[in-house]
Amino acid sequence: MTINPMRKYVRPHGLPHFFCPGCGAGQVLQYFTRAAHELSLNLDNIVAIGGVGCAARIPIYLNVDVLHGVHGRTLAWAMGIKLAKPELKVVVFAGDGDAVSIGGNHFIHAARRNLDVTMIVVNNLNFAMTGGQVAPTTPYSSVTTTTPYGSGEPPFDICRLAETAGATYVARWTPNKPLQAIRSIKTALSHKGFSVVEIVAQCPTHFGRYAIGSGNPADLLKWIDERSITKVQAESLDPSEREGKFVLGEFVNTERPVYRGTTRYEVERAE
Amino acid sequence: MTDTRTESRGRVLTGVHFMLGNYAVAEGALAAGCDFFAGYPITPANEISERMSQRLPEVGGVFVQGEDELASIYALAGASLAGAKAMTATASAGFNYMQEGLGYCYAVEAPVVVVDVQRCRGENFASQADVMQMRWGASGDYEAIVLAPSSVQELFDYAIRAFNLAEKYRSPVIVMSETTLALMRERILIPPADAIPIVNRRKVTQPPSPEFLPYKAEPSGTPDWAPLGSGYNVIYSLNPHDERGRIDWDPNVFEGLYKRITGKIRDNRKDICFTESFHMDDAQIALVTYGSEVRPAIDAAELARDKGIKVGVLKLGTVWPVPEDEIREVAGQVDAIISVEMNMGKYAGEVERVVGGRCRTFRATKNRGLIHSPDEILAVIEEARR
Amino acid sequence: MKQLSIRFCGFGGQGIVLSSVVFGTALVTKAGLYAVQTQSYGSEARGGQCQAELVIWDKPLNSPHVAMKDILVAMSQTALDRYLPSLKEDGVLIIDPGLVTDTHDTKARVFKVPATETAQALGSRICANMVILGFLQAATNMMSKDDLAEVVKESVPARFVDLNLRALEAGREIAKGVNLEVMES
Repeated sequence: MTINPMRKYVRPHGLPHFFCPGCGAGQVLQYFTRAAHELSLNLDNIVAIGGVGCAARIPIYLNVDVLHGVHGRTLAWAMGIKLAKPELKVVVFAGDGDAVSIGGNHFIHAARRNLDVTMIVVNNLNFAMTGGQVAPTTPYSSVTTTTPYGSGEPPFDICRLAETAGATYVARWTPNKPLQAIRSIKTALSHKGFSVVEIVAQCPTHFGRYAIGSGNPADLLKWIDERSITKVQAESLDPSEREGKFVLGEFVNTERPVYRGTTRYEVERAE
Repeated sequence: MTDTRTESRGRVLTGVHFMLGNYAVAEGALAAGCDFFAGYPITPANEISERMSQRLPEVGGVFVQGEDELASIYALAGASLAGAKAMTATASAGFNYMQEGLGYCYAVEAPVVVVDVQRCRGENFASQADVMQMRWGASGDYEAIVLAPSSVQELFDYAIRAFNLAEKYRSPVIVMSETTLALMRERILIPPADAIPIVNRRKVTQPPSPEFLPYKAEPSGTPDWAPLGSGYNVIYSLNPHDERGRIDWDPNVFEGLYKRITGKIRDNRKDICFTESFHMDDAQIALVTYGSEVRPAIDAAELARDKGIKVGVLKLGTVWPVPEDEIREVAGQVDAIISVEMNMGKYAGEVERVVGGRCRTFRATKNRGLIHSPDEILAVIEEARR
Repeated sequence: MKQLSIRFCGFGGQGIVLSSVVFGTALVTKAGLYAVQTQSYGSEARGGQCQAELVIWDKPLNSPHVAMKDILVAMSQTALDRYLPSLKEDGVLIIDPGLVTDTHDTKARVFKVPATETAQALGSRICANMVILGFLQAATNMMSKDDLAEVVKESVPARFVDLNLRALEAGREIAKGVNLEVMES
């Protein structure tokens, strides 16, 4: 019997996973293992971090060291690990809540500092684990369990936030574009500096049912696809036409010094 | 005075100094091997951060000024699991924010040291009003270790003790500082480096394997540590976890976990707790106190003795766990115990619980931004005198 | 020796806190005595007012504060008005006569040390605090003048060392013949 080459990435006794049928988080888990496989990453050298939420569970199934279970503090953990042991590769899996709601402050500061970690944001457009409440990423006017009359809040564009705050690799894809997603995750994992890959993913159980009126994952993927445009397409649209669209592509890929701590000690010690 | 020297001074500044309390606790941490500090500005703890920002680079450590207290305490957790000896310093309001991350450190058994320079809300007036927050601030089940220095020398000494206890029991340890001590300058003697005992956490000795149980902790109750990135593939989750580290809400699993995490401290109370007695031999009244309040308490005991009242002082070096045996023993000896503290009466409740009616109890409490004067304590002694 | 407490007070910028730290450092690290230094904090320290307390003994000290001081050094009239009531009746009051004119008929022994004027003559008023320390050193003899000078050298920026040492010496001159006898009692 041949063993699936991807099996070694999954924690022994780790399955079955807890994701709902049709959830995008399972796909992102697979994108990561494929990317890691194609890059021949050394698992022993990886620390995967998840906070709280559905996407935050992705690391639990990975056969690596894992920090988990506190909402919004993923990047703070990552900062401590990365500064104490820079040789480790730190990958954060965060939902939109972890990344830019409760963890929003840490997000912009990690970007500002160019903390050398990869953050994969599974943006399912709502707070799914808690029952489908509105999130800072929920499209305007969407119905959720806490916006029964439609959301009155404009959503964050996570990639533009990351770019503005100083992230040095930024890309966005959806599960409709799996090969592109895997390619960007590979680029992010190979990147030196703060790399953010946002996957706009389907949550059929909550966002699907409440916001678009269907719990069928395929309907939701189609709904996302209909609103997806390329970077080039976006450039020819004016801001009002761009509203409610998911712009896909690679937005930033630059280099600058990575964070080593608040004091420039390497410089001073050399004196 | 801003120290502007640039040459490295090494980890241990052996010798006699006239040193600020906040500097002394930082120097104690460095002497204990601290190599990671993250904190967020707040008075009256700033001199600790400032000192660490200058001193850590001299010894190859890392200094981080976090974007907030949460970033700082979680950075400590990450650094600690990666192997660093990590410390933060904050003051009451900032300590509130850190409770969340402290809860995580208790749960995943990450050794960290937190200095809380207690102050009155919003200003640098002296207070001991966080004494309960230090024990009960985080959610979940855990036991806290809290050390209460009374002098600049003890800020140094207890910082070392804090790191050693944190490493030994894989637990956060809190150094309870106060405005009074933090902003005070006093004589301090820093011993030679080789006279400072250093404890390092026990490392896992078996090689990584799928059968490895990172949370199996027999017989000591404290599991051996598998450094991040060494192939053991451990899950460090706040959620209840079994010995393998898997998240598991089976009541037997999480009760077992909480029993062990609380038990590793409770069962070692004798090793962790320490007290000091002053004039207690023939005492009929005992002042039970901690932190800066020990100082006027000793003066008050001496004033009382001048008046023919036999008063002694039991100083609690650890406030948590409560040194119950020592307090109970004193309660059996004296007619009355007076709890002395700088708040409206918090730890006094613990003392009275332990005394359990063995003697009469009184309280000398105060919360007006200033340490007790000996006379104020003497007034309560007069009241307690039969 | 008997326990001795000194309060330095004035306004921000006069080096009030620094003088308490320098004196305390010399006492502890050079003279082998014990000292506790505290200073005002909180809103109390605002409005330009400044004070520092130094309690000195040849044994370890408990209470960091002493209600009634043995020596009060006042470098402004406002500070004197505020802190004179905390000076023992038979205490020692040291004032800068250029800044303090009304001593409220105190019964304390008053020494007028023209610190600011002297400092100005030496080149800068910033070293007025060192004139006071020179006076205190000579009048109390709690440490040698060299010990105090050494601490001053370590405590002030290099380019001001010479000025500050000259200020110390000037303060010692003013103290000629004064002996507060704190070590003997």
